[in-house]
Parts: sequence; C-alpha cells; structure tokens
Amino acid sequence: MHPLVVENVTKRYGSFTAVDDVSFAAAPGRIFGVLGPNGAGKTSTIRMITFITTPDEGRITFGGQAVGPETQRRMGYLPEERGLYRKMKVGEQLVYLGQLKGMTTAAARDAARRWLDRFGARDWAAKRVDELSKGMQQKVQFIATILHDPQLLIFDEPFSGLDPINAALLRDIILELRAEGRTILFASHRMEQVEQLCDDIFLIANGREVLHGPLRDVKRSFGKNTVTVEFSGDDGFLDKLEERGAIRLRSRTAGHAEFRLLGETTARQVLETALTRVDDLYRFELNEPPLSEIFVMAVNGQRPEPAEPELAR
Amino acid sequence: MNKTAIIARSEYLRRVKSKMFLVSTFLAPVMLIALFGVSISVALLTQDGGARRIAIVDETGVLGERLAEHLPENYAAAVESAPLDSLRARVERGALDGYFVLPGGLLTGEAAATFYSAGGGGFSSQIRLESAVGDVVRRARLEAAGAPPELLDAAESDVSVRMVAFTETGEAADAAWLYAGLGYAMGFIIYVAMFVYGAMVMRGVIEEKTNRIVEIVASSARPFELMMGKVLGIGAVGLTQFVLWIVLALAGLAVFGAVVGGMVDPASLAGADTLGGAEELPFDPSLLSLSSVPFSLVVYFLLFFLGGYLLYGSLFAAIGSAVEQESDAQSLQMPILIPVILPALFLPFIADNPDAPASVVLSLVPFFSPILMVVRAAATAVPFWQMALSLVLLALAFVGTIWLASRIYRVGILMYGKKATFRDLARWVRTA
Repeated sequence: MHPLVVENVTKRYGSFTAVDDVSFAAAPGRIFGVLGPNGAGKTSTIRMITFITTPDEGRITFGGQAVGPETQRRMGYLPEERGLYRKMKVGEQLVYLGQLKGMTTAAARDAARRWLDRFGARDWAAKRVDELSKGMQQKVQFIATILHDPQLLIFDEPFSGLDPINAALLRDIILELRAEGRTILFASHRMEQVEQLCDDIFLIANGREVLHGPLRDVKRSFGKNTVTVEFSGDDGFLDKLEERGAIRLRSRTAGHAEFRLLGETTARQVLETALTRVDDLYRFELNEPPLSEIFVMAVNGQRPEPAEPELAR
Repeated sequence: MNKTAIIARSEYLRRVKSKMFLVSTFLAPVMLIALFGVSISVALLTQDGGARRIAIVDETGVLGERLAEHLPENYAAAVESAPLDSLRARVERGALDGYFVLPGGLLTGEAAATFYSAGGGGFSSQIRLESAVGDVVRRARLEAAGAPPELLDAAESDVSVRMVAFTETGEAADAAWLYAGLGYAMGFIIYVAMFVYGAMVMRGVIEEKTNRIVEIVASSARPFELMMGKVLGIGAVGLTQFVLWIVLALAGLAVFGAVVGGMVDPASLAGADTLGGAEELPFDPSLLSLSSVPFSLVVYFLLFFLGGYLLYGSLFAAIGSAVEQESDAQSLQMPILIPVILPALFLPFIADNPDAPASVVLSLVPFFSPILMVVRAAATAVPFWQMALSLVLLALAFVGTIWLASRIYRVGILMYGKKATFRDLARWVRTA
C-alpha cells in the first residue's frame, strides 16, 4: 500500500513561513482534499510532496520511502498553473513526459494512445499543442498526469475551464483511480467539488492546519444547524426571525431560503413560525452547514458551533 | 537513459526538426559571405578612388620627373612651375589633390620634402608617398656618389617576404595571414556562437517558465537535470549546425577551387611565383582547402567552442530562470555580456601578436579563453602547457558557473510576479 505521510513539515522563504509544522496522512483508495485560501501554503506543500522543493523541517514519505527522484516516478502532478510545450506535437509531448517518469518510449506511446482514445482524441496525437483549444490542452495535461500509471495523484483545480461533459469524464476517471486503490490529493477552491469527491479534508490557512479529518466527521463537528426551506407565499417571517437574532440568512430567493440557526433557536421554533405565515410549505430540511461555510468560519478562526456551549460550561 | 539525456534529446530534436533550424543553417553562411563581400568591396572601392592629381614643384632640377614616374599608379603627377599660392588655390578649389615641394637642399639632406593637401589623405597614402620620395632621393644620392647601375638596380628591386609556417603534415604552407585570418574567423565564430546559442538556452528556459510547463517537468526531474539537459541539447544543436556548415564550406570551396583553378593559368602562376614579380596573387588557390588546416586546430576549436558555450550557456539558463519575458532579461545579462564582448575587442591585437605576454595571459583567463586561445592556436604554435592550463581553468570555471547557475535556476523557475534583481539572485544562491 502507498500512503502519503507528511510529518511536522515546515517551509520558509526568507523570513516568511509558507508552511508551518503541518502533518497529515493520505490513505490509498481515498481522495484527500487540500483546501485553503490563496497563499495559504497549499502549493508550497504540494511542491514538497512532489520533491520540487524540500522541507526545512519535518519529513514526507510515500509508501514508507522518503520522497525523492524515486517517488517522483510514482507520482502524477497536475499543477493549477499548467502548460505544455506549444510547438510540440501532442503525441511527442506525452511520450516525452512519460519518459521523464521513467517509461520506455514504447510503453509511453501505448499509454498515450490508450488515453487519447478514452478522451475521443485519437487524431490529436499529430497536432501541435498551439492548434488545440484550451479545453483540449487541459485534457492533454490530464493525460500527461496519469500516463505513467502513478500510485499517487495530485490534482490542483483539475476541472477549471472544462465544460460539464469533460468535467464529468474527468471525475469518472478520478473515481476509477480511487477504486483502483490509488492515493489521490485534490486541491480546490470549489467547495461543491470537494464535497462531492473528497473522503478526507485538510484545511490550511497562513501555513497552519485549521481543520483536518474525514469530511463527514468535520461536517458533523459543525452540527446540524443549517435549514433549507421551500415554500409559497409571504416570506416576511424570515425578516422577523433575523431581526430577533434567531437565524442568519445565507441565501434567499423567491420561495427558497437557506439559513443558519443561531443561539438556542431550534428547528421546531422556526418551522412553527414559518407555518403561521406561508401559504404552503414544500420542504423543510435541517442539515450540516455546506463546506463553503465551514471553510469561511474555519479560516476566520471560528470554532465549530457545538463546541461553544461545551467550552462555556 | 538518464533524465538529463532524455531532456537533452528532446530539446535537440525539437529544435533540429524545426523550420528555423533549417533556415538558419542555410541562411547564416549566405549572410556571412554577403557580409565579407560587402566589406571586401568597400575596401576595394576606397582603394581605387580614382587617380589622385598631384603637382610637383621641383627646386632640385632632377627629382621632379623621376618622382612623377615613380609614384604609384593611382597618382597622376606633373611637374609644374606655377607659383605656390596658385597651386594652393587649385587644391582648395578641388582641381588638385595636393602638391609636393622638393626644396633644393633635399638631395644633400639639408631640407625635407613637403606635401600639401586639403586633408591628410589617410595613413596608407602617407606611407606610399614617403616611400616614393625616399626611393627617388636615395637613387639620386647614390648616383651622385657614383654608384654603378647594377648597384642601383639591386638597391631598387622589390623585397617581398614570404611567410611560411610548418603544418603538422610537414609540408610548408604559405601565408601566415591565412592562419591569422582563420584564427580571427574562428574566434569571431565562437564569439557569435556563444551569443546565439546562449540566447537560445535563455529563451528556452523563459518559454518553459511562461508556458508553466516547468512545474510539471520539475515534478519529474531535478532542476539540475533540467538545466543541464537543456544546455547539452542546445549545445548539440550548435555542434550539428557547425558540422553542417563545415560540410557546406568544403563543398563550396571545392566548387570555388574548381572555378578559380579553371580561370587562372597554372603556368603564369608558377612564373609569378619564381619571379616574385608584379602579378603575384594575394594567395595561392591551392591553399583554399581545409586539408591544410591542422587537425589539432579543428579539435581545439570544437573544445573551446564547447567549453565556452557550457560556461556561458548555464549562466544564460540562470538568467532565463529569473525572468518571465525576454525583455526583462536585458539588465541581468550585462555581467555575462561584458566578459564575452571584452575578448572580442582584444581579438585584433591577439591575432597580430599571438605570442606577446599579454596575449598569453589573456588566453588563459577562462571567460576569455574560448575566443582568444583559438585565435592564438591558429596564429602561432601555442605551447602544450598553455593549452592544457587554459582548458583546465576553463573546466574549473565551468564547474563553478554550473554550480552557481543551478542554484539560481532551481529557485528562479518557480518564481513568478516580481522582477528579480541581482540582490534576489544572490539570495537564491545562498538559500537554494
């Protein structure tokens, strides 16, 4: 098995500490989400895992082996800022990048053909990269990442710029790779993608760990305090509740609202208030907060809600 | 295959297969020939700028006519008795290029001849006029002293010096100027090549960086391997280009030699040679083949080309890694360009004085030796210890610059946004 283990890793650039004593482990067969605002230390962390840079302190191992040229062969990295050699043909390019990962020319050529077929792009092999559209180039970059059949895959914003059909194709392949028992790191700002894909998450801000654990546990720790309602009729009850400080609205359109319960407010109280006002009620659902909200709260240094009463006691 | 080799191979193939390579390989010699053609025709045009009209005011009574006859062909001289101020007026009008005044005391050495003209007339014309007057005066003095005509003829016959250098094959080949010229050309080619291929390395690095492919390849190979692969691959492109040029040159010379050989009558050539006479060609066409170039010189040329290229190529890679577009590279390039340009300035001096102590020292300095040692090797027999020392120093400097460059490179390729300064580069070297 090939777990990725990051232990007490610190990286400094001059007086700036980009990554500060970070530890986590990504298990095979799971998708590990690395999240954080811009400049939080995600890329710095990934660069150390991919052995582009080395940590000042701590260590990183993959499959029990310290990362280095040997582990680089077993990794595929799709950076957020990615490119290709513009003047090179797609086929040559894939073969070259495969060779750099230790593949033989023949194996790289086979794999390139197989994956181009899978993307319905067999006839691209003879095309130069600058003849391809941006979305097509992105698929080529994705193929370059998985070409050498790596055990560890690192995808940084893999879906950005892709149309829904190709995004779905990519997602299917990522899920296949997970099913095959590979270790997958997924870095993204798109919280709905993270929520869909990730088994574990690691949230980093200012170079430090903010949240860490299986996605379900993290969400649970923030408690079921988010209500979604769908109704017809007067929505004035929402203003009333907000004025009283019972809820905080997150989104509101005609006949639809999403809000957080504040303080001692219970779902039942809100439901009762709503029923006295609206014409009809189609949906009333109590849920964990969406990841985007958790992200914002965590980055702003707010503790999970349920923890507060415990601390108060 | 190790990664440096994979990278070098890809860099090489990508360039050699491009149209640019084909165009530059065949266009560069054409441009070079055109350049030489222009400079040679400029030289010829300035030389034969039409006959110069000269008046001679003869106060000796004997020298005037003789000087008029003895002046080089492109001078139309006549003895005149017009007053000096009217001659001067004609010079100022442009009707006359100048006039000689030969005072009566010239024969006895009591006075000097004077040449008046609107401008200096150039250094070469001064020498020609001086020697013409000198010849005429000397002959007149010898005659006055009663020298027999045989002696006069002997004293007057042209003295030419044939320059003979020993080649490796033991044959004596003519004309040191050919070797000096060859050295000059080789030094110049290395000078240009270091710029051209160095800039190619730099552009390649900048391209990878702005393309953002660098992060992908950096997760597959060490920065040092990336840099060396690129430097070696482009070096191989340069070598390929040189080999093609040598082949082209050989083919061109074969054609040229046949044409010239057909035009020049061998008998007249042989005659000219034995007589050392007036019709002497500036060169012997048989020399126009590379077989007379010592093999060791070709080896030195390639060694110093490679050494110089590697020395500067890695530095160009470092500069490229620190910027995001070529125009930003200019200020950072200065410290590299200066040591390349300096030896080009010394080039004429070294070609003329290949054994001077200053030449020896300069040709040992690693940053200069790729250009200067080749010039010396062509112009003179460089002692082996100097050649060896020069190469060892070059290799040491190369290791040093590679070390320096790789430290800048590995930080630089991942830096985006702000323009790097020399202070940044120094910090990267320390912290990398």
